[in-house]
Amino acid sequence: MNTRYSDNRPLPLRILALLGKILILGSASIFTAFPFIWMIVSSLKTKADILNTDIFFPTEPQWNNITSILFNSPIPRYIFNSAWVSLVIVALQIISGAMLAYALVFLKFRTNKILFAVVMATYMLPVAATYIPSYIILADWKMLDSFRGLIISSTVSIFGIFLLRQGFMQIPKGLVEAARMDGASHWRALWEVVAPMTKASFITFGLMNFISTYNNYMWPSLITKSSEYFLVSQGLRAFFIRDGAYGTEWALVMAASAVVVVPLLVLFAFTQKWFINGIGGETGIKG
Amino acid sequence: MAEIILKNITKEYENGFQAVKNIDLEIKDNEFVILVGPSGCGKSTTLRMIAGLEDISDGDLYLDGKRINDVSPQDRDIAMVFQNYALYPHMTVYQNIAYSLKIKKVPKDEIDRRVKEVAASLGLTDLLDRRPGQLSGGQKQRVAMGRAIIRHPKAFLMDEPLSNLDAKLRGQMRVEIADLYQRLNTTFIYVTHDQTEAMTLGTKIVVMKDGEIQQIDSPTNLFNYPVNKFVAGFIGTPTMNFFDAECLEENGELYLKTADGKIVLTPEKQQKLREGNWVGKKVTGGIRPEHVRICSEEETAFKGNVSVFELLGSNAIIYVQCGEERIVINTDETAQQEHGKELFLNVKEEKLHIFDPESERTITN
Repeated sequence: MNTRYSDNRPLPLRILALLGKILILGSASIFTAFPFIWMIVSSLKTKADILNTDIFFPTEPQWNNITSILFNSPIPRYIFNSAWVSLVIVALQIISGAMLAYALVFLKFRTNKILFAVVMATYMLPVAATYIPSYIILADWKMLDSFRGLIISSTVSIFGIFLLRQGFMQIPKGLVEAARMDGASHWRALWEVVAPMTKASFITFGLMNFISTYNNYMWPSLITKSSEYFLVSQGLRAFFIRDGAYGTEWALVMAASAVVVVPLLVLFAFTQKWFINGIGGETGIKG
Repeated sequence: MAEIILKNITKEYENGFQAVKNIDLEIKDNEFVILVGPSGCGKSTTLRMIAGLEDISDGDLYLDGKRINDVSPQDRDIAMVFQNYALYPHMTVYQNIAYSLKIKKVPKDEIDRRVKEVAASLGLTDLLDRRPGQLSGGQKQRVAMGRAIIRHPKAFLMDEPLSNLDAKLRGQMRVEIADLYQRLNTTFIYVTHDQTEAMTLGTKIVVMKDGEIQQIDSPTNLFNYPVNKFVAGFIGTPTMNFFDAECLEENGELYLKTADGKIVLTPEKQQKLREGNWVGKKVTGGIRPEHVRICSEEETAFKGNVSVFELLGSNAIIYVQCGEERIVINTDETAQQEHGKELFLNVKEEKLHIFDPESERTITN
């Protein structure tokens, strides 16, 4: 037995404790996963099946729900919009965040601490409070209702700056100094010495912000009107209310929702390790 | 190959603390200059200012006649070896050594040739594919040196490069650095608090204390002619013995009256004491442990009892408690001295140092 501690309780008690754990964790998992499972299952039902609460599984799987979403709806377009806008935004956020975090950690200048305090103070600001000024700026720049506006308004992520700064602080300053002595510019030191050593922070940051941008609803719906610029959440909402409250095609709405989630599930499947690392606060750098 | 000149260099931090105070230093081409001093004396700060890693608050820094205060480290063409090696952990030994050449866009085949050449000269050929995490302290140290050598820089800066190694390896690496200096024939600036390293490696030693330069001289001159009590005490192991004395005259001859007797003075020392009006005044005497001799009771200057006897092989260190003071003797006489045995001591007159008790400056050398 390779246990770390011995359990001296009698066997029936131990079994009971184990069952208790399974029950609590199992029911919590079911509660969490149920809406998602229900959505997937419902995407293959007819509208009548969905409204009939007596059946859980579809009487006959309606694969055409999925095909009609994939080939006869604007949903793939929204997925594409979301994916590439998120990709560009995350790339810009990584570049801007890494540069600022590098300056905060490795450069010595008088206002260093004040700068960090100001950056963090804006993190405390409710997002909604920035909507109106941001909207006015974008309107002045004639960037409302465009991908450019969406992208430009999200080039900087305070969360990212903070996350990268924490990662960079683990790196001995001597390494950056050594790179500078070797003839590297700050730019090279950042991308060739600091970034490879804080890969975990970069990946965690990239993934988390990709997902939140992909799913973002409020801000894109404020600045974009034309459906050609919709991201998935807006797109789903438009799709949902398309035929008025009574005409809602629940089966198609479910199928659309399921299709929209697929790219994120694929992403998650490949990057689970980094998510858990990021949430667990590990840097991924082995000592 | 470089000539480095520091003119009135000062480093003041935002809180007003001055780490380096108005120092002047001229480092000639091909010199091996050692900056030595106790912790916090400003030696590393001075080195980092030369490297460009620390801003200069005041004064001018010249490299080959060009003022480089505002030149960034990457453009100074100076290499540095750090105390903790600062190897890039995600790169192999090969990549670590090649990094500076890669930045300079040196052709790949030339990089390869030079890396292999440097690796061979440092005994690193078999380790080129390893990462720093898989190396021992001594190997890491060699890689750090390889990284500096490959660039053919104008000057090498070394910040306590041996302090993380064990005593045996330190001795070995010290010899390798001396050998490297002979081969490369370029300017070295080396920071250490270890005076053995300073004495054995340097052609010129700069002793610092509290951000100020105390003395700049050759190792021999520092040892024989320290300008003040601090330098005298800092250079040499075991450290110099200091004692209180009074300069008195008898029959036209000056001598030092000590706690238990007197020390006869050479004519040169007498003359200097007369010139400085020291007759009848208190002074501080200093004598190195190797210049203390055991004598008869009649001619004693100090008498005391053996408190510790350390046999080091070819020589022995004897600690003698003389009242409140402790006199250390470094002698070739290796016969065991019993604990508590009474000893009578005097000094080799020509090796005696005399200091002003207030300013601590040397009166006679």
